[in-house]
Amino acid sequence: MDEVGTKIVEILKKHMKEPRDDISLSTPLTDLKIESLDLAMIVFDIEDTFGIEIPYNANEDVEDFKTVGSVVDRVKDLMAKGPEAAGAKA
Amino acid sequence: MANANGARRVVVTGMGVVTPIGLNVPDFWASMQEGKCGVTALEGFPLEDLKIRIAAQIKDFDPKQRLRHFQRDKLVMHADRYSWFAAASADEAVKQSGLEFPIANPYRSACIIGSGAGGLVTFENSYRSLFIENKRATHPLTLLRIIGSSASAHVGIEFGIKGPTFATCSACSTATHAIALGVDYIRNNVVDVAIVGASESVINYGTMKAWQALHVLSPEGCFPFAKKRNGTVLGEGAGTLVIESLEHAQARGANILAEIVGYGMSSDAKDMVNPDIEGPNEAMRRALDDAKLAPSDIQYLNAHGTATTINDANETNAIKAVFGNHAKNLAISSTKSMTGHPLGAGGGIEAATCVKVVNENWVPPTIGLDDPDPDCDLDYIPNVGRNLDVTYAMSNSFAFGGLNAVLIFGPAPN
Repeated sequence: MDEVGTKIVEILKKHMKEPRDDISLSTPLTDLKIESLDLAMIVFDIEDTFGIEIPYNANEDVEDFKTVGSVVDRVKDLMAKGPEAAGAKA
Repeated sequence: MANANGARRVVVTGMGVVTPIGLNVPDFWASMQEGKCGVTALEGFPLEDLKIRIAAQIKDFDPKQRLRHFQRDKLVMHADRYSWFAAASADEAVKQSGLEFPIANPYRSACIIGSGAGGLVTFENSYRSLFIENKRATHPLTLLRIIGSSASAHVGIEFGIKGPTFATCSACSTATHAIALGVDYIRNNVVDVAIVGASESVINYGTMKAWQALHVLSPEGCFPFAKKRNGTVLGEGAGTLVIESLEHAQARGANILAEIVGYGMSSDAKDMVNPDIEGPNEAMRRALDDAKLAPSDIQYLNAHGTATTINDANETNAIKAVFGNHAKNLAISSTKSMTGHPLGAGGGIEAATCVKVVNENWVPPTIGLDDPDPDCDLDYIPNVGRNLDVTYAMSNSFAFGGLNAVLIFGPAPN
């Protein structure tokens, strides 16, 4: 796993009651027992760590949050677009 | 004058509201009849980087015009906006009640006016002046403006209320808890008269950022029970009732608007944001038991209906569990589709709505409901209100933290 992936797994583990060491890119977030408020806090941590903003509404099912890998892809995508594309006017 | 439990009966003799769709009850009711939406573009402060740029704000409230006749409370004009809303709605309710305040024995009156958050706008402005503008001090009234009991104190001072005076605080159930407590005090002969309700005014940059960070606000609008719903919309305002014992109201020949026949309270004791069915279910059942009514006796239900994905589906399931076969016959609406979500004040505004429904036999709509969510398959009175004979109306309030409170309103006793 690359640096972005490793950092995201660290963030996920920080928010898990019982952190696991077997998290891979294909691990579904539902397997990590992450619930809605956890997700809001994880999104906040990721935004802070990578200097991006992730469009996210707890009222909608978001494809980007299905697996660890999809989160990593989304973060890389937003980082590539730069802070403006990911930012305020979304 | 006692009900079947031996407790005194409690009636409503006055009501007042301040809402984004009407600054008093007649205007508010007229707007609901038109199906008016109070959600507009956010304004009044620098929006900076806010992503959510809508709210149901009160834009034409003039505190001078509404409160300059206040006699006893010398500071109300210097209070926070949330206290202004409380004072204006209480003043409207008191005027309608025809009661002379202070009452003969002022210790026999209570003032329970809650607020989910108190003077947050003052809070933010003070912190801005301290931390950003490096001012040497805050305004001398900052503390008094902020505290969550200041609205109840202002109203209590103006109307000379010397009995129990305090605020309730239970997020979106605040007003409903305040009303239920007032009912209890009158039933149990602690007081004869109470001014009860709640007020909220928290729409500022910091509050918008905090709600935005929770990711539960819609960027588009408040569409309860609709397939397209994607979050709630912050609102503001106040809703207040004057309630008294039936005996007290009849002795002075008061015009009785309605009776509060029951209340129910419960807590999910489970999760801060994910409600369950059991808690709301229990609050509704307890209200029915308290009123000695069967589910089929209720004709109209003012739903909590916040337009979040979770609330509306969960509330639908809870209503089905309580009302069984009658759920399909029940006329239900979320007036938050028009007022936005006034947070703590919601239950007060919705209590006034239920009193009007019982008086006028007309039920307000859920606007923006062109395409209902299949998971919300009850009669949510889409888009247009209708005439309906309503003897008993229920009002639901369910709050973050799983804090549930329910009221039932019935006709004025003969």
